[in-house]
Amino acid sequence: MDDLRLGVDVGGTFTDLVALGGGDIITAKVPSTPLDQSEGVMNSVRTAEIEVRNVAAFAHGMTVATNALLERRGARTAIVTTEGFRDVLEIARQNRPSLYDLAIDRPPALVPRELRFTVRERMGPEGEIEALDEGSLEKAVAALKEAEVEAVAVCLLFAFAHPEHERRVGEVLRAELPDAHISLSSEVLPEFREYERFSTTAADAYLGPRLAAYLSNLGSEVEGAGMPEPLVMQSSGGVVELSTAASGAAACVLSGPAGGVVGAAYVAGKSGYRNLLTFDMGGTSSDVAPILEGEALTTTESTVAGVPIKLPMIDVHTVSAGGGSVAWVDAGGAPRVGPHSAGADPGPAAYGKGGEEPTVTDANLFLGYLQDGATLGGEVTLGRERTAEALERVGGEAGMDALKAALGVVQVANTEMVGALRVISVERGLDPREFALVAFGGAGPLHACSLAEELGMQTVLVPKGSGVLSALGLAVSDLRRDYVTPLLASLDDLDRKDLESTFGELEDRASEDLDSPEFHRRADLRYGGQSFELMVEADDAENLEDLAARFHDAHERRYGYRMDGEKVELVNLRLTATVSVEKPGLEESEPEADAERGRRKANFDGEWTEVPVMDRTRMGRGSEVEGPAVVEFAEATCVVRPGWRGRIDEVGTLILERENA
Amino acid sequence: MPDRKLDPVTLSVLASAFSGIAEEMGAVLIRGSYSSNIKERRDCSAALFDARGRMVAQAEHIPVHLGAMPEAVVAVMEKDPEPGDVFALNDPYSGGTHLPDITLVSPVSLDEEIVGYAVTRAHHSDVGGMSPGSMPSGSREIFQEGLIIPPVRLMQGGEYVGEILDLILANVRTPALRRGDLRAQIAANRIAETRLVELIERRSRDTVLAAFDEVIAYTERRTRGAIRELPDGRHSAEDVLEGDGITDDDIPIEASVEIRDDTMTIDFSGTSGAVAGNVNCPLAVTRSACYFALRVLLPGDVPANAGTYAPLDIRAPEGSLVKAGSPSAVVAGNVETSNRIADVVLAALSGFAPERIPAQGQGTMNNLIIGGSRDSGWTYYETIGGGQGASAKGPGPSGVHVGMSNTLNTPVEAFELEYPMRVERYELLYGSGGKGEHRGGDGIVRSVRVLEPATLSLLTDRRRHGPRGVAGGQPGEPGSNLLNEEELPSKTGRELEPGDVVTVRTPGGGGYGP
Repeated sequence: MDDLRLGVDVGGTFTDLVALGGGDIITAKVPSTPLDQSEGVMNSVRTAEIEVRNVAAFAHGMTVATNALLERRGARTAIVTTEGFRDVLEIARQNRPSLYDLAIDRPPALVPRELRFTVRERMGPEGEIEALDEGSLEKAVAALKEAEVEAVAVCLLFAFAHPEHERRVGEVLRAELPDAHISLSSEVLPEFREYERFSTTAADAYLGPRLAAYLSNLGSEVEGAGMPEPLVMQSSGGVVELSTAASGAAACVLSGPAGGVVGAAYVAGKSGYRNLLTFDMGGTSSDVAPILEGEALTTTESTVAGVPIKLPMIDVHTVSAGGGSVAWVDAGGAPRVGPHSAGADPGPAAYGKGGEEPTVTDANLFLGYLQDGATLGGEVTLGRERTAEALERVGGEAGMDALKAALGVVQVANTEMVGALRVISVERGLDPREFALVAFGGAGPLHACSLAEELGMQTVLVPKGSGVLSALGLAVSDLRRDYVTPLLASLDDLDRKDLESTFGELEDRASEDLDSPEFHRRADLRYGGQSFELMVEADDAENLEDLAARFHDAHERRYGYRMDGEKVELVNLRLTATVSVEKPGLEESEPEADAERGRRKANFDGEWTEVPVMDRTRMGRGSEVEGPAVVEFAEATCVVRPGWRGRIDEVGTLILERENA
Repeated sequence: MPDRKLDPVTLSVLASAFSGIAEEMGAVLIRGSYSSNIKERRDCSAALFDARGRMVAQAEHIPVHLGAMPEAVVAVMEKDPEPGDVFALNDPYSGGTHLPDITLVSPVSLDEEIVGYAVTRAHHSDVGGMSPGSMPSGSREIFQEGLIIPPVRLMQGGEYVGEILDLILANVRTPALRRGDLRAQIAANRIAETRLVELIERRSRDTVLAAFDEVIAYTERRTRGAIRELPDGRHSAEDVLEGDGITDDDIPIEASVEIRDDTMTIDFSGTSGAVAGNVNCPLAVTRSACYFALRVLLPGDVPANAGTYAPLDIRAPEGSLVKAGSPSAVVAGNVETSNRIADVVLAALSGFAPERIPAQGQGTMNNLIIGGSRDSGWTYYETIGGGQGASAKGPGPSGVHVGMSNTLNTPVEAFELEYPMRVERYELLYGSGGKGEHRGGDGIVRSVRVLEPATLSLLTDRRRHGPRGVAGGQPGEPGSNLLNEEELPSKTGRELEPGDVVTVRTPGGGGYGP
């Protein structure tokens, strides 16, 4: 096999590899190495026994930036800001996180008080109000040297529109502090609203040194092994060159989940589905995201680990409900699931490793969805007896027997996930009934049919490689760069030519960064006087009226009303530049003679039924399954509820359809 | 468990669906609104009520709004609402709190039967009256504070009642913004109806209506359980408000809290009578502050709804500061006195559970209102965060809203793009929190320079008496107000010349421990 496209995804527990080429797919799964994630990356390449000289492209997704942010283990970072505005990062928006728990504070600012420095200068909406005082800059530089910082965020008021002072400060800092990482707010996020811009810039500075060190280390190891330089997955769902990733760390915080969403879009696209909700359920949490016309939706309103980062990111929503989430009964007698998770150790009661509390996995085992006595990862054996005891004990607190408790736990967990799916569909103005649900992750296919029923969805897709979908997504990701420029003006006062020339400038920049990219134009618009923008497509907008019409439609979809008579304002122009990579096909083999592994009792809505248990590895192109049934994949189990019928298609995806609903 | 129609699982599923509806209402309102005060600062709230006027779910926004909403629904129910109606009101003596808070109540109906009410309340940055921003510092009767809207139909049969809207818009300084903000409130109420009807289609009418009852009963059980855990007895506390905008005299507020088994009685005997200025509270505001204090003692996972109120009995002398009657002026009662009532009730509650109540926070919203001259027609309203009190758990947060408000700030860049003013300074006052084993949070300084002639109103407090520490902690530093170099009283109004700088320094929180 030559011309291999490699995707390597580092997750919390496992590092997954997928290699695509000539219609074939090679996969490998090795333990992650949290201290130096690159070790696991190289281990996965060795385990897969790949001929390194056949590797044409290498794409990488990781959690280095996410973890550094979550654990607050970034660089020693300072901020240089406008005099009089030292504490923007700490004051944030001045609201408290909990209305009634008065002791809870916001997460600490990434830059502590003693590392906040100011310079005398002031820009306003129209430009310079007070010149940059070089004396104050010299003082700030001396203080920064004294403080021995590794990174500096330069964040001046109104720099989104008038970046001259920020550029001058940046120039001096780069000369005076050559080893420090310098981020300018006008470069990281040229948009108005100082807190969000400063916060994004501070995150960029805070994460920059750690990410750059990791990537440069990984780069030399990969190069040393004779493979091409890795491309790095961004939060936006596209990959960039290693050097670009290293200099824009804030854009990498969702590098991990982005791969799964891109993978889901790719695989489902091969089966002919382009409007999707993705559902990735793991041990401690579940991620959901919308895909429209084959493309992952992005948002610029994310907050990661308590830090607003307003860069384009896939619109992924996470809830803390996973297979290991613990079930309990609260003081008012209501059943609850999570957010506490039993993790891998002691794990669910069924593991017999000391876990006493029933989890979602326990409920799935009790109901016959998982097999009593099954071994996971060659180590843990599921034991139904321990599960029954735990469910009985906790259920007793709410006056329920073990069966009612198990049904209840699954339903409460499903409610959490239905809520998450509603956030990324209904609240985005998308009707879930027009979408197919793509289920992956170890536990996703167990719950998918129930969630689909609750949301009125007709189709569930379970891809063959659902256990390594993130790595697959990496292998097929396009190169992508995002650009934004502020253009505050009423559409009435603009000319089509103004728009054209601003987009033209962005496109020139993109053409310098990428090799013959394709362009995708968008615009952030709002009703004159409103404060929140909606992003609309601007590609084939022939004139400004088209743009306004699209905005009216988008506003009605999202908020339920439109105001055709009102002025529409432009806030930002956005350009996405992509270079497509070659995407190999997927092929499914013929089925083997008999894929039924046996039969067991499973419970649906209170009724026990004997159901067939299918072995996915023996099923193939055209294999069919009729619910109620259980399909056991290599790394996941799929429950086909009564009323559902499934068939494996040409590319190996199990397509489940709901009958006469 | 007796008298339950629904299994616990269905109940828990529906409870989260109800709060999802309230959250979505709030999101639609914030996103669709026009005035900075709602769109940037989120000075608004949303809730879902049942057909009997009991709150079922709320979006967690502004405490002083939420606790006072039930009165609005009661007032509307007396007007025989019908499907397709949207009622507007702001009359503090008929369902409202103070005039800038306009509440819209929409009956939610299924097959022409009312099954609940959708309610949004938003602080409109001008509703007419004697000064721009409708938050005058020197009003002596409610008629000076703006247009009074008793419960009236703003929409009927799904159509605007044009004359009512015209009447409202004719009485306010910024009619275009009011029109846009009201439209956003209507859209938010409408989304509640859409979502509730969808839910009923999926789950059946009887199940959803039964869940209304049971969600409320559940919260009541949890609330009674939490009260029962406290020792029986009676504890009192007192504090003062620093002047009413007419005089600077301290105004005493006293509360005694009695707990018997699973019930709580809060009695305000000993509190000052209603005053000449505008710091008086209609009972709705006082209730709201009491609910807030009680809610602080409840576990965080108890859903907030009418069940919280059931075990609580509030007694306030007629015609007192905390149960004023028309035509007492009330505009600052909602934003300042409410904080002091909460402080006093919390202080009394600390007699039952000392370790669970933090030192006092800044205890004021620091209301800053600046309006342009007659022809320019802009109004700016901001409330400013300060220090929170420290507690056994740790230091007090700095630069936050601490009590009955939780609005966001207006970003400096949004502010200067919108108003002919400039922010000169906006940062923390390091060291203003009270000392102690755990330090109180620090206050904020915000300085604003006006570039055109303008009118200033300030409604602030804790300028003389700093927020108290607990368990031996020191008090936080009191705040102060300045016009250029001149120190201003806590509640005052001034005419401003171009170039004038108004500076508000907010109080630090009290410290904890020696």
